[in-house]
Amino acid sequence: MYHHLEARLKSREPVLLDGAMGTELVRRGVRWRKHGLLTDATYVQQLHGDYLAAGADVIRTNTFQLNPRIYLNVFRNREHMRHIGAPGLGDLTPELLHTSVQVAKQARAHGPREDVAIAGVLAPLEHCFRPDLAPPFEVALAEQLELARVFAKEKVDLLFAESMNTIAEARAVAEAARTVGLPIWISFVIGPEGELLSREPLAEAIAEVEKLGAQAVLVNCAPPADIGRALAKVKASTRLPFGGFAHIGRFSPPSWKFEFFPQFAETESWSPERYAAEALRWRNQGASIIGGCCGTTPAHVARLKAALQVMRQGAKTA
Amino acid sequence: MSYQAIAQKLQSGRTVILDGAIGTEILRRNVTWADHQLANQPDFVRGIHEDYAGADVVSTNSFQLCRRALYNHFRDEAHRRQIGAADLDDRADKLLAASVRLAVEARQKAAAIRPVAVAAAITTLEWCFRPDLAPSPEQARLEYREIFQTVKDAGADLVLLETLNSISEARAAVEVAKDLGLPCWTSFVCDERGFLFTGESMAETVAALEPLGVDAILLNCAPPGDINAGIKELLACAGVATGAYPHIGRFDPPEWMFTDEYPPARYAQVASTWQQMGARILGGCCGTTPDHIAALRGLAA
Repeated sequence: MYHHLEARLKSREPVLLDGAMGTELVRRGVRWRKHGLLTDATYVQQLHGDYLAAGADVIRTNTFQLNPRIYLNVFRNREHMRHIGAPGLGDLTPELLHTSVQVAKQARAHGPREDVAIAGVLAPLEHCFRPDLAPPFEVALAEQLELARVFAKEKVDLLFAESMNTIAEARAVAEAARTVGLPIWISFVIGPEGELLSREPLAEAIAEVEKLGAQAVLVNCAPPADIGRALAKVKASTRLPFGGFAHIGRFSPPSWKFEFFPQFAETESWSPERYAAEALRWRNQGASIIGGCCGTTPAHVARLKAALQVMRQGAKTA
Repeated sequence: MSYQAIAQKLQSGRTVILDGAIGTEILRRNVTWADHQLANQPDFVRGIHEDYAGADVVSTNSFQLCRRALYNHFRDEAHRRQIGAADLDDRADKLLAASVRLAVEARQKAAAIRPVAVAAAITTLEWCFRPDLAPSPEQARLEYREIFQTVKDAGADLVLLETLNSISEARAAVEVAKDLGLPCWTSFVCDERGFLFTGESMAETVAALEPLGVDAILLNCAPPGDINAGIKELLACAGVATGAYPHIGRFDPPEWMFTDEYPPARYAQVASTWQQMGARILGGCCGTTPDHIAALRGLAA
């Protein structure tokens, strides 16, 4: 399905991403364990279906920050994990990735359109908001490659690296995608300075991943105003298709050491209408790929779809 | 102080029963543990405390509840201000106080039968199984002081420092607790050979903590077999009261896998062997239930 996306991007049509998976599953009452993929896969599939019904052109697997480290990190070491951990914990990741793609495919098969692309989501191996913990390039490449290989075997249409927080790890995912022969879009988390969360310059990060063959660059996991400001920098840095997806509300983590925990507070201050109005400004800035990050819902994506259609009709009549 | 009665029991060689798991018990009752449920479902949490009615010591639902744990989800303060919830600066403090209040309320019923003390359950400042992440002793003292002051003001009778993984962090915590005049039990996780996760021995641990006035040394959050190895080492060198509360089942992050390997009767039987060896504080860690603690009650007759 990737050629459909390429064609859209070439003709400067907007590509609509889906919205949040984790925060929306939690908001719907799903307990956050194994990304819902072991115990609540039907809810995950249902949510993909809701995003498809809302008009998303791309659905992203529910695999943000799903990798063997998130389990290993809460043990003393591998031996300790085998000793007191649930059986099979060390081999769980490929199984969960497999399920994540299966439920996305099921949702597409039952959805309104067949030309929707399924993106296998990669993310920083360590917590996305802690660039100080990121592994060096070689280590990241080896581990990201393992994840990318599973996605390639499961035949996703593209890879989508979200919330990347260092240039080194962004290079690693780009290299991993090239090795397995999948197109990749890479999105960076924007810190308070308006650059990567690592404080490395956004322009430099974009140049690096462009060299390695990334087919689109995006910015995400920051409040809408920060995404808008970052998009101006992105536009000035690349000729690649680019885009953004903001989170809404405030990150409200638990007192619990684990991977990114999808809980956002005060999301109601960003109605679908308000979010769509903000996102249309990104479109006017030249962004072609637009969607929602944490806190957004199918209603936000549906509103965004309608707003983009109105904009196109306006352009045609003008 | 409600701790007096507990101290007297230990001094006279009697056995003290500590309660069982609360975090995993919340999960077993099909509720998410994400926010400890202290603000959302206080009655539910208090109800679990009350179900541990056979315990002499009720421990608060406050595992890993500290400001550092919340802040660790962000890059730094600037990032927290950019995207974080507004109440993160004092959320841990408020929830800690709430956890103590709920335990204090829950003990009212049981206290009619026997004296019950409320222990503020506090663990390592970083992740309990990762001594490599521990802050410096100076930093640990600052943070423990803030935590202990909060639980003291909220009415805790003692602090139960649990699932500790290094002597240096334990020392920092005990120094602060004693400075604040709080009775203090320290409980360590041990490996299959009975050593701390830093590789430090029980003899080194005892030698470091007893001079500081620690009131008891325990072992927890390891399977019964590992606790067995550790308690032998501990009993060989400890002068203060000792105890144990193993976990049962398997850690299935971020939740717990319950198994039927140690039903209450068998659990109590294993605990009784430690009692015969000299351990005097018995309870339950992850995976244990009110039935397990009820079964232990017979050992304190």
